[in-house]
Amino acid sequence: MTSPIAPVATTGYPWPIETTRLANGLRVVVSEDRTAPVVCVNLWYDVGSRHEPPGQTGFAHLFEHLMFEGSQHVKKTEHMKLVQGNGGSLNATTNPDRTNYFETMPSEHLELALWLEADRMGGLVPALTQETLDNQREVVKNERRQRYENVPYGDAWLRLLPLLYPQGHPYHHATIGSMEDLNAADLDTFKAFHQQYYAPNNAVLTVVGDTTAAEVFALAEKYFGAIATVPDIPPAPDGTLPTPAPEPAREEVTAAVPAPRIYLSHRTYPFGTKGYDTMTVLATVLGNGRGSRLYQRLADGARIAQPDYIGAYGVDLAHAPAPLIVTATAKDGVSLETLEAGLSDVMRSLIDEPVTDDELNRAKALLTTAWWRQVSTAGGRADTLGRYATQFGDPAAAAERLSQWLAVTAEDLTAAAKEVLRPESRVTLTYLPGEPS
Amino acid sequence: MTLVTSRPAPGDARPYAFPAVRRISAHGGTVIAAHLPGQILASAVLLLDAGAARETDGREGTATVLAKSMEEGTRKRDSAAYALALEGLGAELAPSVDWDAFRVGVSAPGPLLAGAVRLAAEAARTPKLDPADVARVRDDEVTALRMDWAQPGPRADAALRGDLFGADGRYSRPLHGDPTSVAAVTVEDVLAFHEAWLLRPGVLLVAGDLDGLDLNALAEAAFEGTSGEPLEPAGPLGVVLPDRRRTILVDRPGSVQSTLRLGHRAPERATPDYVPMTLAATVLGGAFTSRLNHLIREVKGYTYGIRGSYAMTRRSGRFEVAAGVQTAVTAPAIRDTLGEIARTEAEGVTEAELEVARSWRAGQLSVEMQTPGAIAGALATLVVHGLPDDYYETLRREYLEATVEQVSRAAADHLSTDRLTLVVEGDGTVIRDELAEFGDLADAEV
Repeated sequence: MTSPIAPVATTGYPWPIETTRLANGLRVVVSEDRTAPVVCVNLWYDVGSRHEPPGQTGFAHLFEHLMFEGSQHVKKTEHMKLVQGNGGSLNATTNPDRTNYFETMPSEHLELALWLEADRMGGLVPALTQETLDNQREVVKNERRQRYENVPYGDAWLRLLPLLYPQGHPYHHATIGSMEDLNAADLDTFKAFHQQYYAPNNAVLTVVGDTTAAEVFALAEKYFGAIATVPDIPPAPDGTLPTPAPEPAREEVTAAVPAPRIYLSHRTYPFGTKGYDTMTVLATVLGNGRGSRLYQRLADGARIAQPDYIGAYGVDLAHAPAPLIVTATAKDGVSLETLEAGLSDVMRSLIDEPVTDDELNRAKALLTTAWWRQVSTAGGRADTLGRYATQFGDPAAAAERLSQWLAVTAEDLTAAAKEVLRPESRVTLTYLPGEPS
Repeated sequence: MTLVTSRPAPGDARPYAFPAVRRISAHGGTVIAAHLPGQILASAVLLLDAGAARETDGREGTATVLAKSMEEGTRKRDSAAYALALEGLGAELAPSVDWDAFRVGVSAPGPLLAGAVRLAAEAARTPKLDPADVARVRDDEVTALRMDWAQPGPRADAALRGDLFGADGRYSRPLHGDPTSVAAVTVEDVLAFHEAWLLRPGVLLVAGDLDGLDLNALAEAAFEGTSGEPLEPAGPLGVVLPDRRRTILVDRPGSVQSTLRLGHRAPERATPDYVPMTLAATVLGGAFTSRLNHLIREVKGYTYGIRGSYAMTRRSGRFEVAAGVQTAVTAPAIRDTLGEIARTEAEGVTEAELEVARSWRAGQLSVEMQTPGAIAGALATLVVHGLPDDYYETLRREYLEATVEQVSRAAADHLSTDRLTLVVEGDGTVIRDELAEFGDLADAEV
């Protein structure tokens, strides 16, 4: 069957992309699509928890919260009210690499969204108060409790990072930060943080949807053009590290968890490299879906792992070797040792047993669907373009990711597994049910 | 040059339209399809009148065990071959169970959708259901529920449901059952549920670029070998409220937060008050700037987030406020929450608040309905609740036209602060004594 909508392997981004740069350094990316009467405004700031010095863990994320609490011409609580009160959805996220802010609006409110973003980029500091900081500090501490402390295995990511990245490395600490550092956060530090990093020349503005490039370029100049360039923004500490890690690391946790669980992890390559594309396909072969090796051999097959809690995935970080994470949880009556031996065997199979055509095609088909799902909304598209503009200097590079995944061969996978997945470079984190010691 | 000081006015709004809907009847069933020009992915959902409400008492979770057993092989191929065939199309099976329906969903690039629907139907209509496989899936589901119930939330949810719907059989138990009820599910229960409810045609929902999809072929794939008439829906359960407020403690030793679930019963989805109730709940606890989130998060800092909402199914409804609050502020957080519910019940909403709620709910119909999956979900709502194809246009207009008087009256009629059940899941040794001020305190039996 032929179809006008057959997925095209030659481009993963079959929509127009237009770019400009304002005199103050703000990069502007526009991708027009008139299908739905909605528009997404997305800002990537090239600052994340990797920029945090010792004693200030969690500050980039806490700062993200402060961005919703009013700015020079936007009163406290008004930001949320104006976006939702005009039909929009909004959020922001912080990770080790960057901080992003985004709102999807009915398209007649494009200008409102740009005004709101410009006001908090150029005018946040006058609105920052001790009361707001104290309130959002408590909110973030509750976020930490809710997401990391009060759920079984919730601290796994907090434990894996220091095992994967040495002291002083920009990825050594988790973005949520420590309670101790959050308690010590003072207002002047946040004012300085904004003045240092929330600069037009440290950001990418992406607009996707029901508008034109000409309209957005003119509005960007109108609202963001007055914001001053910040010279000499200091880079984050260098994240260069060898892959694979030179030695293994292991942590064994006894905690109030319902079943034994294992996380295995390896440092791989930075997101955006050929090596990481290979890892993305390898993780899919290994642990994505019921047809994956982990599922087939441990959840089905040997039946030692719980079928709902087994998988493998990469964490898409771009400024140092990104982690591949493999996890499995023991079925009733199965020991941690049995599960770990099973996991190790499946990991080794990627070196010893070539990936078959069926396995490779399955992985590529799943990744193809995942890619098109990611770009199926204005919001998903905007965030994708913002990422590629920020991290690789070119939003159009996004179009190549899918074809780069599809170009990975079985030989590439075996070679990468040999290089990266050796037990001598493995991080192992285990959980056993019991009283914490 | 400086920042622009004044807020820009909106541009011209494009008229709202839900995607064009096409219906065909073929091969014994109905296909309802929404046209999304240019979408590369397409979604299909086989919607069957086989919700959890059809399960036998004491065997709650039967439908979920069936849903998870469907991929253990079909009459045509074993589980490994099935996984490879479906995932080789880039699709994964998404079976799900709610109170009203059993859904089997797949998404794939448009040209591959027909193959994915054929495989989804193969699993739904002709699963192998080997007794040993079903028993193993059942045991795995018991374990999975124990994993889930180790998190804060599910036990509190079960305690609230048990209290609100205690006299209503299946509705008094969790949607997916609990570890005990699932352990009691037999292979025969699963086979009987499949035989009774999954062999009727049902409805196939499709969302995608219809120019590349053959709806007749999709109908054939979905309905081949099925028979039976649509089932008559059962009547609503009604709204029964207790005569006074009560508090239930679910002990979770060492918990650093208390999980709050405050609720009472409410009308079912067909209520004529659906729009004003939804808007009242949006003002109270739906929007970020809602009364609850503003006070409990943005002023007090007690929580990462608090939500209040009505959830309505074909036969039942309930009002609920849900939050996780720091253990040390459990009583003050409950006090403030009750205060905002009571204020909304007594005084209604203001025009300024309602204006945010109206525009947000109306705008969400465009903003949150961009993907084939979201549109297929919207089609399912039409079928389950017997709504017309132009429903979303009507709903949008009703949101935008709702008045302060209508919404305030809905708040007065459908909030009952003094008859709430307050479920608190937290560290009993720390919070038990302070809960006394909120009314009769009992310990949960979950």
